[in-house]
Formats: sequence, C-alpha cells, structure tokens
Amino acid sequence: MNTFRTFSFITTAMTYLLIFVGGLVRVAGAGMGCPDWPKCFDRWIPPTSLDQLPDHIDPAKFNIVLAWIEYSNRLLGALVGLAIMITTYLAFKYYRNVIRITGSVLAAFFLTLVEGWLGSVLVDTVLNPITITLHLLLALVIVMLLLYSAQEAFYLENHDSEKGSRYPPNMKWMFGILSITLLAEVVLGTEIRGGLEMIREDNPMLDSQFLLRMLGPFKYIHTMLGFIISGLSGLLWLRLVKQSQNPSTIMIQSSTAILGLVITQIIMGELLVFLDVIPLIQLFHMWVASWILGLVMIQYTAWNQSQLAHE
Amino acid sequence: MNKNSLLILMSVILLGAGATWVIQKANSSHDLPVIKDVPSFLFKTQDGESFSENELKGKITVLDFMFTTCAGPCPIMTNNMVHLYQDYTNVEEVQFVSITVDPTVDNEEILKQYANANGVDDDRWQFLTSDIDAIKDLKKNGFMLYADELPRGHAIKFVLIDPKGRIRKYYDGTDKASIAVLRNDLNNLVKEIRS
Repeated sequence: MNTFRTFSFITTAMTYLLIFVGGLVRVAGAGMGCPDWPKCFDRWIPPTSLDQLPDHIDPAKFNIVLAWIEYSNRLLGALVGLAIMITTYLAFKYYRNVIRITGSVLAAFFLTLVEGWLGSVLVDTVLNPITITLHLLLALVIVMLLLYSAQEAFYLENHDSEKGSRYPPNMKWMFGILSITLLAEVVLGTEIRGGLEMIREDNPMLDSQFLLRMLGPFKYIHTMLGFIISGLSGLLWLRLVKQSQNPSTIMIQSSTAILGLVITQIIMGELLVFLDVIPLIQLFHMWVASWILGLVMIQYTAWNQSQLAHE
Repeated sequence: MNKNSLLILMSVILLGAGATWVIQKANSSHDLPVIKDVPSFLFKTQDGESFSENELKGKITVLDFMFTTCAGPCPIMTNNMVHLYQDYTNVEEVQFVSITVDPTVDNEEILKQYANANGVDDDRWQFLTSDIDAIKDLKKNGFMLYADELPRGHAIKFVLIDPKGRIRKYYDGTDKASIAVLRNDLNNLVKEIRS
C-alpha cells in the first residue's frame, strides 16, 4: 500500500469515528456544550470551573461534561481536517494526472471546511434543525469521496482485480437510486429526530411514544423508504453476487454487508418506535446508515471498475 | 469469523460501551445546587390577592423582575416567559411569577391588563407588586440581584425555584440558549417530583 492509500484509509476511519462522535454530541444533548465557536467559553481549553467563565457568557450555560463532549467533536474535526489536508497533498503528489482522485479528495477537503463553518452556524442558531441535517449530510458525502478516491487509487495499481469478474451492465441507475434513497432516508431520519425535539419542547414531559404519534407522516415515509432500500439492496445483491460471473471478494463482502446492515437498521428502527427512543440505538441507527452509504460507494466503484476493464 | 470482522466487532462494542458511559455522564451532569432559600415576603397579585413565599412551596417556579413600560430587554424576557407559560400548560407542577420593579406605575390594574395582553388566562402566571422598598429588598437581598437603579437598571435573570422555595439557578432571560438550559432543568425537576 502506498502512502496515499495508507493515509486515505486512516482518514476514512477517522471520519467515521467523527460521524460517531458527532452523533454522540446530538444524543447526549451536548450541541450547545460550548456556546461560542471556535473557542469554548472564550478559551482554547474548556473551563473547569465557573470562575473561569468570561463575563459576557451566561454561567447557566456552563456544564463541564457537555462542554467536553462538544469540544472533543471539534478537536477530532480539526484533526480530520488536517488528515484530509495531508491526503489531498498526497493525492496531488502521487496522482497529479488522475482527476477523479485529486478532484474527489479536493472536494472532500473543501467540504470539510464547509463543515467547520456549519459547526459555527449551529452554535449561532442554537442548533437549527436544517443545519444539523446538512452537517450530517456533508459528513456522509465526505466519507464517500474519501472511500472512492482510495479505491480508485487501489485499482490504478491493481488493474486486474476486477478483470476476472463480470457483472450485469447498465446498473448505474440502481446505484444512483439507492444512494439518493439512502441520503433521503438519512434526511428524514434526522428530521424525525429534530421534529421529536421540537414537539418535546412544546409539550414537555410527554413520553416519547406519544410524541412519535404526534409526528405524523415523516415516520411512515421513513419506514416506507426503509422497505424500498431493503428491496433495492436485495436486488443488487442478487445481481452482483448471484447473477454475475466470478464476483470479486470485495463485491461479495460489500453486497452481503449492505444487506445485513439494512436488516439491522430495520430492527433498530422498529426498536426505537416500539420500545423507546433509546439514545444509544439512535446513535447506532445513524452510524450504521453512514456505513451503508460507504459500502454502496465501494460496491459501485468495484462494479464500475469491472465495466471499464471489459470495455 | 476472520480477523477483520473480529476487529470491527470489538471496535463497535468498545464504541458502544464508551458512548453509553458518555450518555450517562451527560444525563447526570445537570445538577442544580441549592443556592439559598427565598426569604419571606408578602406582595399582591394582579388580582389583588396576597402572594407570599408560601405560594412558592409545592410548585416549581420560574421568576423574573420586570416592568410593563420597559422598552429594553423586558419585551424579549416577557416573550420568552410567554412561550414557557404556553408550553407548560399541561405541566401543573410549574408556575411563573413576574415581579414589577416599577410599582408606582404598575398597580394591580395595569398588571392585570399586561397579563391579559400576554394571554394569561389562569393562575399559573402571577404578576406581583408591592412598595418599591420591599421589592428592592427582596430583589437585592433575597435574590442577590442588582437593584440599585430601579426600574431601569433591573436584572434580566430568570430564577428557578424548587418546590421547597429554594433558589436553584439563574438564567439569562433574553438568551435563547440559556432558556433551552432552563427548559431542560425544569423538566429534570418535574421528573424529580414525579418519581
């Protein structure tokens, strides 16, 4: 593995961890843990006691636990930004002429800057729901871009890794529809989360079951889309694993993992509805969605490589 | 199971355990230290009834100091209080109290009009008045809030008082993020009484 691929692998893993930590901030209710940005209570290291607070910030907002949860998200975010910067540098060093690699890491780097800025907007708007959704959506796009560039770099050095496999042609639209549906599902999911929060604010002390019922159509559309996604990923598995010749290991593993994770998602989603809105399940429900999107990207890139190899 | 899957599984379990710990930490981090007792006082409400510190007992109270003709931060404070008053309609443990710092203008009649104008239609929100010295004393010595140049120089704090009549926390009544913290603390206190 060359330095670029090693680095983009580390960067991707870090970005996944960052998505997890971001979700943790959300479920722990720590989004306003630092009421200012980029500093936390006007300090580069969050304060440990009330007397370290600046005069212009209301001490009621100080909660050391929430401050550190939020701040670790920012620190990790900065670290990921740095890692993506190095990955971008390495991409230009190794693959100057391969626009699909340099272009995608550059886009990832640019989007990381936008993510930082969105973080500041979130604090300014006291967690505007649409901005929260956008914040997650961009993170997913970043992780997909990183995976794509790493895999493309792999194929550049391993030309023949998909040569032995033959998949059905004309499947681009299926990947497209699946990715868009998945992203829409994530948006709906975060809207459910945000919607619940808004209803909860207007109706304090009501239990989550009741709040879910007040939420209306969002929840049903989310469930419906979930079934469409499982249908599509099942179909993809059938075509790419069963109805293809000699599918590669990466194809078999990614297709099977997608199917398994989609089923896991349905189970977790139903648990959230029927059992209770349990923060840990919420967190993993969101995180697994980001895995599925990454795996679909891997699946598509492998399929595309095989198509190119047989042109 | 191969090495990679085992590694992934281990990481997921580890992250799950870590997240559980963090979520628990976050949930138990909203402590509300007891600051002090609200001292005894005897004021009049907008309906001309007596209101003393005893009326704070058995309820969770959000209290502020304001005056009806104030053009500065008060409209924002009142607006925030109106939202709280409306949202907590079905939470009978919670009440709201606004004390005027301009009793020469804000008599019972004016306060009643002000209450009506802000949609107050039950006794969950009381507007209190008294003579200026008593108000100043309660504000300064009872609530430890700035009270030197009343009415203009009044504090913009919302005060959270528990069912035992003890001050638990102060919030900036004009700040959206502070109000969000107040809502959270209120809910935790309600849960405490209900459990």
